[in-house]
Amino acid sequence: MAAAAAWTTSSRAQKPSMPVIGYLCPESPELFGSRLKAFHQGLREAGFVEGRDVAIEYRWANGQYAQLPALAGELIARDVDVVVAPGGAPVALAAKAAGVTKTIVFEMGGDPVQLGVVDSLSRPGGNITGISSLSVDVSPKRLELMHELLPATKTLGVVTNPTSPTAGSQLQRLQAAAETLGVHLQILRASKEEEFESVFSSVARESTNALVFTSDPYFAFRSRRLADLALKYRVPAVTQTRDFPTAGGLMSYGGDFVQSHRRAGIYAGRVLKGEKPADLPVQLVTKVEFVINLKTAKLLGHEFSPSVVSGADEVIE
Amino acid sequence: MIVRDRFRGLFPKYFLALFLAVAFPLVINGSIEAWFGYRDQRARLDQLLGVQATSAAAEIHNFISDIASQLGWLVQLPWTDEADEGRRTDALRLFRQAPAVVSLTLIDNNGLERLYVSRVGLNRIESRTDRSAEPALVGAHARQVWFSDVSYNRGSEPYLTIALVGNRSAVGAVIAEVNLKLIWDVVSAIKVGETGLAFVLDRPGRLIAHPDISLVLRGLEETTSQPFRTMRDAIGPGAGFATGRDGQGRPVAARAAPVAGPDWTVVVAQPLSEAYAPIYAALRRTTVLLAGSTVFAGLLAYAFAHRMTEPIRLLEEGTERIGAGSFEHRISIQTGDEFQRLASSFNRMAGELALAQQHQERIAKLKRFLAPQVADLVDRAGDDSVLDGRRTDVVVVFCDLRGFTAFSAGVAPEEVMSVLSEYYEVLGRVIARFEATLISFSGDGLMVLVNAPVPVEEPALRAVDLATEMQKRVQGLIGGWRSRGYQVGFGIGLASGSATVGRIGYEDRLDYTAIGSVVNLAARLCASAADGEILMDAGTAASVRGKRSLQDIGSRQIKGFDDAIPVFGISF
Repeated sequence: MAAAAAWTTSSRAQKPSMPVIGYLCPESPELFGSRLKAFHQGLREAGFVEGRDVAIEYRWANGQYAQLPALAGELIARDVDVVVAPGGAPVALAAKAAGVTKTIVFEMGGDPVQLGVVDSLSRPGGNITGISSLSVDVSPKRLELMHELLPATKTLGVVTNPTSPTAGSQLQRLQAAAETLGVHLQILRASKEEEFESVFSSVARESTNALVFTSDPYFAFRSRRLADLALKYRVPAVTQTRDFPTAGGLMSYGGDFVQSHRRAGIYAGRVLKGEKPADLPVQLVTKVEFVINLKTAKLLGHEFSPSVVSGADEVIE
Repeated sequence: MIVRDRFRGLFPKYFLALFLAVAFPLVINGSIEAWFGYRDQRARLDQLLGVQATSAAAEIHNFISDIASQLGWLVQLPWTDEADEGRRTDALRLFRQAPAVVSLTLIDNNGLERLYVSRVGLNRIESRTDRSAEPALVGAHARQVWFSDVSYNRGSEPYLTIALVGNRSAVGAVIAEVNLKLIWDVVSAIKVGETGLAFVLDRPGRLIAHPDISLVLRGLEETTSQPFRTMRDAIGPGAGFATGRDGQGRPVAARAAPVAGPDWTVVVAQPLSEAYAPIYAALRRTTVLLAGSTVFAGLLAYAFAHRMTEPIRLLEEGTERIGAGSFEHRISIQTGDEFQRLASSFNRMAGELALAQQHQERIAKLKRFLAPQVADLVDRAGDDSVLDGRRTDVVVVFCDLRGFTAFSAGVAPEEVMSVLSEYYEVLGRVIARFEATLISFSGDGLMVLVNAPVPVEEPALRAVDLATEMQKRVQGLIGGWRSRGYQVGFGIGLASGSATVGRIGYEDRLDYTAIGSVVNLAARLCASAADGEILMDAGTAASVRGKRSLQDIGSRQIKGFDDAIPVFGISF
């Protein structure tokens, strides 16, 4: 909150001629710090430094995704030059639904075409473009990795956020993958932080002793909490973001958020330079990273096969 | 006025000639230099772009061949019928080494798929699908390395499939899908000058690599690739770079080089503004130098033309002033050449003209009181000291009309003047004939001097003859006048003796005169002479006695002389 106050002050101190970016964020500054850093880096690569060349109006939903449309409305009223909607499909959809007329640059894990955010990757159409991190696409890979770690386990828990716009498609893909892999899925739902504990406790009680998290920003930004719970209930789990193994979780597989947020910054800069969103194709993140925490694996009594370890982009020991 | 005159006549001709003489070679030289500079720079640019195209092509080729050589490690060991966990480890390790590889398929020596690993999709282990008929495998068996045409994943990301077989059939083959978006790291690192760039086109001419990734992601679209393809085609197979326009419409110079293997083309393009910057700089330098030289040539031409025409102008002005009578004017030209010589001869001429003018003026002055022939004589002597004051023996002759005052009061002024002019005309001719010196007129009388300023032989005799001739001539006139009823007569008095003669007066009003009692005597004798009489003093009479017939009239009391003076007359 202190940081938010500081940002607000700096945005007020800006020169009137500077362009203004509206930054619509689903979380709090603390949870979004690493993403914001990557965004600033990209913005700098495009030639913009906050306070020097550009002012940024931040709107923090602090995890209350329902507030996003209202916050987007505030940015419309503020008449910002470009709206950056990072951190998932709900943010982009909220900005689009709020009727932003200026360019929207999104950053999400889902497929923007499937979500109806853009017409096509090469020609987004309308006033919206951005970066997709592939995290949603690779949900089945997480199931595969968990299956490989626990080949004997025939039922795997899958945690989904029913409020997520990508929940349905992800479950569909996971079901198809489960069939291929020959496992059963136990679908668990959580859309609030308070529900996390019950998810873990229910799995810990039952034979299904592993959790595969679908790609969802709400989960991604609560990696620490999820890692704590996984350790507490001794449940092997895999999520989309490296924050999870870093915080003590077992492993993660998903798009590199540093790359996606940095590119969102570059696109915001290019839009400020006058480029049309229709000329900026949606970029897919090229790097899907696989991070494992061997310490946690040992703690949980599981061992990764050498081929898995050799394929990991980062191994926490 | 002089300045305006300067732009007519010689000055502009000299100026133009001198200016062209300096400026023309400069311009020619500058133009030739600029032309050769341009050609050299073009050749340099061509060479530079050629080298850059080749090295860019080598870098792109390295990107592909790096991946191919990584793939080579997967086709080292012969296949057995058992599943091999080690191969999966190798494949996953390759994923880490080669981030552009999206999926890998390992095929055994029977053409069966043994392993498929993907970054996004699910892995397949030992599926044993028969893939031997696939073009990738067929191609790889034929050429060891096979490259597919570029395909666009979801219509946006360019993908390439590489298939590779080992050096013996037992090791099987590997098929890799490569995301070409990662060439961006290579292509954006290629520097072509400051603002130039490199891009890569596949065989049909679709954009597969460009520093602006957003163009690559639309490479499948005709509108995106078309300008790049046009540039590639413009370069053609021949030597030399081509010029075209890039995506922003800026003119660029471009050269191309082929990428061996996938049969792509790398084009390096540099904006002409940058490529030709040295040419433009050289041209600007030349232009500034030329402009400077032209101004210098102009100044030089002006100075030289001025130096050449200024003496002429001075001469012209000088001759005008001399012509207008300013003989004291001198033309000052110190050029040490023909002009100076011309000026000094002008100056000499002016001096001579001045002398001639003085001569003329002196003659005019002398002629007023000397008989013209005497005046010429004095003038030819070149010395008018003869007019200086001195004491000498002279004969003074006075004459006037009798009864003229009464006559003039009675007739019209025109008549008076006509009588006087006839009278003086007659007397003037006589005075000139006898080379006597006319001293003064006053009304109807005049005074004549003989033997001064120029001495003559027998002055008394000449004076007597002069008086006789005067009397004869005037009496002739008087006869005419009397017939018109004018009662006038004419008398003459002569006296000889010593008198002071010389010029009197001031500035231009100088007269020659005689002062002495002889003058008074002559005037008194004239006054006492009756009409038709010539009276002379004894001195004069003595000088002509025996030569002319004299009459002794006896002594007369003359006003101003104490004693009576003997007076003589002469008959004619």
